[in-house]
Amino acid sequence: MTKWDKLLIVFVLVASLLGLYYVKGIASNNSTKYILIEVDGEQYKKISFGNNMIGETIEVKTEYGYNKLEIGDGRVRIIEADCPDKLDVKQGWISNPGQVIVCLPNRLVVEIITENNEDKELDYMSY
Amino acid sequence: MSRIKKIIFLALLVALGLALSIIESTIPVPFIAPGAKLGLANIVSLITLVIFGFKSAITVAILRSITFTLATGNFSSLFYSLSGSVLSVIVMFCIYKYFSSYFSLIGVSIFGAIAHNVAQISVASIIMENIKIFSYLPIMSLTSLFTGYFVGLSSIFITDKFKKVLNKALY
Repeated sequence: MTKWDKLLIVFVLVASLLGLYYVKGIASNNSTKYILIEVDGEQYKKISFGNNMIGETIEVKTEYGYNKLEIGDGRVRIIEADCPDKLDVKQGWISNPGQVIVCLPNRLVVEIITENNEDKELDYMSY
Repeated sequence: MSRIKKIIFLALLVALGLALSIIESTIPVPFIAPGAKLGLANIVSLITLVIFGFKSAITVAILRSITFTLATGNFSSLFYSLSGSVLSVIVMFCIYKYFSSYFSLIGVSIFGAIAHNVAQISVASIIMENIKIFSYLPIMSLTSLFTGYFVGLSSIFITDKFKKVLNKALY
């Protein structure tokens, strides 16, 4: 084992650890998460999370009623609604894919979805 | 070395590599990453490269991949093992020929193991049409560091012994 072998081992070690760190950074960001807003079963709007969206509010005004959404850092909530019991406002923030906020009187569904296939469960894997 | 004896030795090496591949595919992998292997068959490629040269090594690598596919009956593994072993032989040849004054067989085998992983991940990303498979590369190169080290170490011991055996058998 020569000096260059040791150098190579150290280099590969450092490069892999940096790569792992970098991959972890990619995996934890929210760029593949979307907010899907549906009114009366039909898609009203689809929004992707991003740093420029933090603090933004979206107003959903339809024939069924009025709701106001606030987008946070990878999460979303409803801050205003004209429905009687305000269950959607009380629910608070949702952040994980699959979570939903429903406002039944206004026929509004806010859902967080992902569009990459890797989050779905695997049926079969072969090498 | 007569031609027929060389062919016999290469055939033996192919058989040895095939046996090692099959044995290693039955060993459960102790690492987190699925698809990580010990790379025992790489010992055969490295020995062939050192003793018989580049052409023989690449022939052995290709034949080993094809026979391994025939033995396991898993056709989709042909592309993975073929691309991996061919690229690793090419890279190991370049390192061994031009940089052997710097790197010992351990370094050569680490380069080969990394090339093997890069080729397999590229093929996987083409077949699955998903570039995100490359996020596997760091963890694979980390494991190939260890497997490459041991493959290189065993190749150093084997080539010494193998050269003596060859000299007795052939001359």
